[in-house]
Amino acid sequence: MINLIDELKAIPGVVGASIVAADEGLKATNLPAFFKPERLLVVGNHLLKLYAAGQMSFSDLTDITLNFDESVVVARALDKSIILFVICEPTFNNNLLNMSLNLLQDEFKSSNFATTSTAAVAPTPAPTPTPTPQAGKDEGLEDLFAQLESGLGKILGPMAEFIFAEVIEKWTAEGAANYSRIDELIKLINQEIIDVNKIEKYNQLIASALKEFQKG
Amino acid sequence: MANAKDFVDRVSQINGIAGCVLIRKDGTQIAQTLANPKKYSALMQTSNVLSVDIMESMGFGYCCYVSFAQENMDEFYVFSIDNYLLGVVKMSECSLATMLDMVYQLIGRVSTGNTEGVS
Repeated sequence: MINLIDELKAIPGVVGASIVAADEGLKATNLPAFFKPERLLVVGNHLLKLYAAGQMSFSDLTDITLNFDESVVVARALDKSIILFVICEPTFNNNLLNMSLNLLQDEFKSSNFATTSTAAVAPTPAPTPTPTPQAGKDEGLEDLFAQLESGLGKILGPMAEFIFAEVIEKWTAEGAANYSRIDELIKLINQEIIDVNKIEKYNQLIASALKEFQKG
Repeated sequence: MANAKDFVDRVSQINGIAGCVLIRKDGTQIAQTLANPKKYSALMQTSNVLSVDIMESMGFGYCCYVSFAQENMDEFYVFSIDNYLLGVVKMSECSLATMLDMVYQLIGRVSTGNTEGVS
């Protein structure tokens, strides 16, 4: 995998590239050392979320480009939960990079990628923006979900909808969707919020909704 | 620029632009020339929030724009203008450099040429 992104680095204006998998963390990078792996993981996960959001508006989405004043980030999803992003100088050759990304993606699809990774940094859940409530869940749980999502919106803003959907999906995939597992759900949401102060504020916001649900 | 409607009309008149949407960063829709503005507004907000997070994580300077490329070669651009977000659909035949030049000219007029700005 590292060999393939090394080829990207040969393109004029390309500083380097990274591959982040939602459930495996940072798979490969050839960016200079001052781009810390922890930061690259954060960026990769943000790009996975942005890609998932983009696909809700554009089903045929190919690339996302973020133009900063001194750098450009070009991101392409290799599959649903793996994103490749390239950091470039503003003068990079876009056509050449595009062609190389197409070739790299073809190679990935034909499973020619080696599975070796350079460094595994803390994994995070895959961003799939479709909630999948399950049959057999406790009555009234949907109302509680709505309140949990509403509270999350006050903490995370417009990203809350996507994050809540993916957390619900992960939670329901791990077991029955009933109140006995609500602590696991809250824990997953807290992991997505990350910021300790925001987690505290969120737990305060949802405390009354949880109490009401318990009362029935 | 007299008002937001004028602004989006002028952006939409740029050759190769299919239409645009102007929203506040809180999601309030201000003006649009695209048929389904809701399709774009949530994505615009999300891209703004995440691009700022990425900028801070990586120590980059400000984000000029975010673009979403599609297989049909159309692209959707999101520009941040103070407390507003402008979303622009660029068709494949439109030159990126020309489009950016024209859009920035109009954005410059909104933010500096008129104290009332976009309202």
